[in-house]
Amino acid sequence: MDNVLGRDMISDLPLSIIETILTKLSIGDAVRTSILSSKWRYRWATLTQLVFDDKCVSLSNDSANAENNLVKFVTRFLFLHDGPIHQFALSTSFSHSSPDIDQWLLFLSRKDIKELILELGEGEWFRAPSCLFSCRKLTRLELVRCELDPPLSFKGFLCLRYLNLQQVLVAPDVIESLISSCPLLESLTLSYFDSLALTVRAPNLKYLILEGEFKDIILENTPLLVAISVAMYMTDDIAEHFEQSSSCNFDKFLGGVPCLERLIGHIYFTKYLSIGNDLGIIPITYSHLKIIELYQVSFEDMKEVLVVLRLIVSSPNLQELQISGSSNASVAIEAPDLDFWEKECPSDYTLNRLKTVKMTDMSGVPHEMGFIKFLLGKSPMLDIMSITPSVYVTSGKLNMLIELVRFRRASAQAEIVFIQDQV
Amino acid sequence: MSEGPMAIVKPEMKSYIWLQTADGSIQQVEEEVAMFCPMICREVLQTGMGSSKNYAISLPQRVNPAILGLILDYCRFHQVPGRSNKERKTFDEKFIRLDTKKLCELTSAADSLQLRPLVDLTSRALARMIEGKTPEEIRETFHLPDDLTEEEKLEPLRNMTDDPRIRLLNRLYARKRKELKDREKMKNIEIEEEHVDERSVDDLLSYINGGDGDSKGGRANKNKKKNRRKKDQPRNSSSNYENGNHKNGEVDDVSSPSKFSKFQASASAIFSPKLDFDDGDIDDELDPAMKEELDREVEDFARRLNSVWPERMHDILSLGQERRLAPISMNGNGSLQRCTGDELADWQFTTPLTHPRRAK
Repeated sequence: MDNVLGRDMISDLPLSIIETILTKLSIGDAVRTSILSSKWRYRWATLTQLVFDDKCVSLSNDSANAENNLVKFVTRFLFLHDGPIHQFALSTSFSHSSPDIDQWLLFLSRKDIKELILELGEGEWFRAPSCLFSCRKLTRLELVRCELDPPLSFKGFLCLRYLNLQQVLVAPDVIESLISSCPLLESLTLSYFDSLALTVRAPNLKYLILEGEFKDIILENTPLLVAISVAMYMTDDIAEHFEQSSSCNFDKFLGGVPCLERLIGHIYFTKYLSIGNDLGIIPITYSHLKIIELYQVSFEDMKEVLVVLRLIVSSPNLQELQISGSSNASVAIEAPDLDFWEKECPSDYTLNRLKTVKMTDMSGVPHEMGFIKFLLGKSPMLDIMSITPSVYVTSGKLNMLIELVRFRRASAQAEIVFIQDQV
Repeated sequence: MSEGPMAIVKPEMKSYIWLQTADGSIQQVEEEVAMFCPMICREVLQTGMGSSKNYAISLPQRVNPAILGLILDYCRFHQVPGRSNKERKTFDEKFIRLDTKKLCELTSAADSLQLRPLVDLTSRALARMIEGKTPEEIRETFHLPDDLTEEEKLEPLRNMTDDPRIRLLNRLYARKRKELKDREKMKNIEIEEEHVDERSVDDLLSYINGGDGDSKGGRANKNKKKNRRKKDQPRNSSSNYENGNHKNGEVDDVSSPSKFSKFQASASAIFSPKLDFDDGDIDDELDPAMKEELDREVEDFARRLNSVWPERMHDILSLGQERRLAPISMNGNGSLQRCTGDELADWQFTTPLTHPRRAK
């Protein structure tokens, strides 16, 4: 072969580089390199990071056929694989017959798998076999559309750092014990859970992302939490629960997170926090809290307004603030206590680090304007305050502007940007 | 630059680091640029080398002056802190527009200098050169030797049921035929390192004797003969094959794997219909018998591509060892290694062990 004369350029690169290159190919392409030359015959077989998805097999019209093809491919691949497997990711729109996936998981559990990502299709949800819980070295677990039912003897994933469960069917107490039995857990994401009353006990937890219909969220033991993002949906059930609640949610949620740096709340988050806020206040100062993002805050609800105030007053080092309103402009006739903001806040309190404020979906409701005025007056280092009126506000824009112009600014370099047209 | 006595470090005066490449040439590089490479950084901090020409830091062998120039360009750009991500990306895109050889050398050099971002960048570029291309194209791009035997190429994992694959097979076959001829001439030139041939003289003799007859009729007999012989040299053949170097250029082994689906039949039967390679696989004889064999192989392969997985798996598992390497498994090598049938060239694990052909 004349190829011998033109020297082979690539096959003699260090194995780690070859593996890096193969990892950047789709797994089908990586396997196909086996046909290139004798040195490449089994290079693919020692890959430690396996990512399978629907694109691995040739697309065919018949979905049952395609599903079969994918199953065959993964099974054969695993069979031919040689060496440890550190990461196994499967993302497919099929909901596979359980026996295959069970076998794969059994195989992987014997290979000291460290990262497991399973995203299955919409059909009948996959029920995780017990061998999943015997993957001792697991550091990362992501499951989408599964059913989890750990055996009684399960003592937790002792190495788990990252847990992401989305649309997972699991009993509430199981979830709580799963979280608390993973001592090294640093990042927890739970999405689309229904009516869950969750207590989080995770001493090493740094990042928390929750999205779903939560009745209650209690952060009982999370001293190291750095970033929180919560989106709370509402159902009648939950609304009822809110009415009957008798404890201070703010304390339950934000009572034990002194290291918090970033807080993001969506939808009914502020409403949730507002419940029970008047009962006892734990005075905590979030001295590390730099970024607050609150969406869908209803400035007509005094309670929610109080929550916002409390957060602001407790975060002297705040740098960035983003708030989106959700008020109904047409209702804003009543004139509540306009000096509210000045009164409720200690007069010498200033936000010395606040540089950026972004207010969106503003309807010109009195408290919204009062809040803006308050911020402008208390932020000597402010750089930009951008205000975007809500799309429903048509004639009120001019009024908003007129009011804005009057506000005193503590910061000489503050720019007020009124964003007219959102494309 | 008249600074007062207090100013010890004058920002205008740059400090340089001296680097020496494997070929002996020494060059000086601005300090901040050179320190961008972890390996150089460590050398400077730990050993204090690099401050003068005599104490130049020796770079790893994989870094030659031309490549070093490229790497330093990369470092020079990226070590400036103020650049936006977009600028960096644009630079990267332009930077990797190199010919393949340079790209490979660059990857290797960046790896030895532990410059991880550059390794990632170049690896991605190399991956892009590989993805979506046919094997021939890839071999041409990287000058890879096409040294797999034909049967080894029948390995693709994917369950391809469409025709293009068969067409590719046919192309491979055609090429292989030609290459077999060439290879015979070059048989003594060892292209592959592992060409361990531990077969005993007996094997070779018996092979030569047994391999004369081309007629298919004689196959069964030969099989039996070979099978019997097989008992004597289990290990050698297997180790040969296990190494995955079947550099005999025999087309014989081509479809032995593919035959597994037929293994449900009795031992001898397995060989008779399909594996007349015993006869026809004398390297330089691309006789009609062999051609026919090849055709049958293709057919069979195509059939196997279409066969149903679970059934075969069941068969394989239930029949177990005996069926596995049927005639050949008499020497106990037939451990059920990989009966995953079809295109999963299970033959790699099985045939080698006991394939009568191996008795060469």
